[in-house]
Amino acid sequence: METVEKQVSIALATIGAVILIVVWLAYSEGRAAVDALTWVSHTHEVVADLEGILADVADARLNAGRFVRTGLQSDLPEYQSSRAQIRGRLSRVRQLTSDNPRQQGRLIPLDQAVAEQLSLQESGISAGSQARPEAALQFLRSDAALESMQAIRKIIADMTAEEKTLLRQREGESEVTRSRASVTLACLGAVVLLLLVLISYILTQDIRTRKWANEALRRSAFEFHDLYDKTPCGYFSLDFQGAFLQINATLLAWLGYRREDIVQILEFRCLLTPESAQRFETVFARFTKQGRIEELSLDMLRKGGSVMPILLTAEAIRDSSGHYISCRSTVSDITERKKSEEHLLKTVKELKRSNDELQQFAYVASHDLQEPLRMVASYTQLLAKRYKGRLDSDADEFIAYAVDGSNRMQGLIQDLLAYSRAGTNAKALHEISSENALKEALTNLRATIEESGAVVTHDPLPAITMDDMQLAQVFQNLVGNAIKYRGAEAPHVHVSAAKNGGNECIFSVRDNGMGIDPQYSERIFILFQRLHGQKEFKGTGIGLAICKKIVERLGGRIWVESQREKGSTFYFAVPERNGE
Amino acid sequence: MMESIRCDAMPIEVLLVEDSPGDVRLTQEAFKDAKVHVNLHVASDGAEAMAFLGRQGNHANVPRPDLILLDLNLPKKDGREVLEEIKESVTLKSIPVVILTTSAFEMDIVRSYQCHANCYITKPVDLDGFLKVVKSIDSFWLSVVKLPHKERS
Repeated sequence: METVEKQVSIALATIGAVILIVVWLAYSEGRAAVDALTWVSHTHEVVADLEGILADVADARLNAGRFVRTGLQSDLPEYQSSRAQIRGRLSRVRQLTSDNPRQQGRLIPLDQAVAEQLSLQESGISAGSQARPEAALQFLRSDAALESMQAIRKIIADMTAEEKTLLRQREGESEVTRSRASVTLACLGAVVLLLLVLISYILTQDIRTRKWANEALRRSAFEFHDLYDKTPCGYFSLDFQGAFLQINATLLAWLGYRREDIVQILEFRCLLTPESAQRFETVFARFTKQGRIEELSLDMLRKGGSVMPILLTAEAIRDSSGHYISCRSTVSDITERKKSEEHLLKTVKELKRSNDELQQFAYVASHDLQEPLRMVASYTQLLAKRYKGRLDSDADEFIAYAVDGSNRMQGLIQDLLAYSRAGTNAKALHEISSENALKEALTNLRATIEESGAVVTHDPLPAITMDDMQLAQVFQNLVGNAIKYRGAEAPHVHVSAAKNGGNECIFSVRDNGMGIDPQYSERIFILFQRLHGQKEFKGTGIGLAICKKIVERLGGRIWVESQREKGSTFYFAVPERNGE
Repeated sequence: MMESIRCDAMPIEVLLVEDSPGDVRLTQEAFKDAKVHVNLHVASDGAEAMAFLGRQGNHANVPRPDLILLDLNLPKKDGREVLEEIKESVTLKSIPVVILTTSAFEMDIVRSYQCHANCYITKPVDLDGFLKVVKSIDSFWLSVVKLPHKERS
């Protein structure tokens, strides 16, 4: 804008200057015209006087001649008046041509010639008066008289010619000046026109720019209002007493009020439940001094009286001396969030309850099953002990099946108990040596290892945060399996560990056993899932399920990589903790 | 051999506090199997056990037991209460109490010893184990251990 004003000012100043020049030119042109007129009349005056002089001299000569011929006195006054006029005319011509030395120069011989002519006429008249007409005519018709008359005629003709030449010259000059002035004027007019075009261009541009700016302003104002009003979160500001200064349409719509019901009428606390109002008042008092509210959970009241849970975040606006003026506050409706939180909480509670129940159920069921089973087992065993060979062979066989069944049942129940307990009675976790845990496991497996001639080796194992009993249990189950499901060669089991990016410690138990078909690599970790019959390998299918439960309870994972006939490697990853 | 160690001519009185008749019978069979001769008295709940020990009602003429085999989970009065009452009684606390139960709860074990149980045994689930346990009880508490002389009443 500034540059536009500057440009326009410069253009206007230029126009002003041009107009001044035009005025000056017009003035000087006028002056020149007046001068020219003066000169014309001057020339006419001079020419008239010169011609007058010639005429008067001629008249005087004529009158003198008539007087000489007639001798009438009445002719003398006319002669005298002509003479008198000549004097006046001569002195006027002298005055009028005073600025022209050439004309002044010519006046001297003219004076002499006139004086001579007049003196000859005088002599003629005085001779005539003495009645000597012959003598008088002699004077009047003498060569001198004729010569002076001729000289007068010539000089006057010269002077007239000079004046006319001068007039022509001056007229030519003023013509040149006039035409130069009109060219200049035309040029200046063009300049003014150009400047006017420039100004109008600049102004049009400026107006267009202003129009765009206005349009942009209008659009941005609209966008601002739209954003303020319709943004999907509540927005309002409060004065120092907590009364509404502004509120946006979103919040109004949530609450069911009109703007005029609220702004500069209600205080914010009036739209809160009594409990929230109390809390807000405490917070607001602090807020006007400290200047920030962060996600304050409040319950607002809608127009109908229903409750809307919200989160309020606000920031105070202060004047330059730090006094509270107003605030920017956002409100988020957390009805849905609250609902889902409640739902989640309920679900978690429900899940925990059902989990606890399940745990309890597994434990109680297996524990309480144990009692009657113990009776069945004990008495079938007692029967077998006391009556084997004393009844018929069928009875012996039946009893044998009953004993076997109850034994297996007992095994299952004990495993179930062990499984339900696994990972639940963990001690407070602290850093333990996993190498010691492996040693403990190997001690428990000593008989198995010796019996099978297995070689168990291991890399240096790290210290980790875990329950040592549980880790020993996992090692025992994995190493025990590695030996149990051996291949053709003597079992070789290798245990190692690696840290994984500092987040996990991954242990591996590698064997040269019979391997596992990859399609079963998930299934083997499920409780009581087995890949072999009792005749091939004894067991209930609890070991890996227990390992999985222990590891997963710690937030870890367990998996196997294996091919049939090519050995297996069991991995388990335990998250690193810092002595929780 | 055991018999020969036992110089006391008087029969050995054992009170079995057990609500399950199966277990009672099994214990009897176990003693029989161990070829131990004991007078096995049975109380089927805690209240009856206390009545027996206090010689109340129709237990007026029962002998004072040399050893008590106590189950923990009992109707009417719990085995834990029975243990507490015995060990708080000046006259009864010298009788050794062997907790013989199916519970393997750590809490039960700890609490029992805190209440001065003389030992805590979890019933083995198989017959052979059970027979061994009963035999051990007999050999330890009724043969190896020297108990105070009986206070005859």
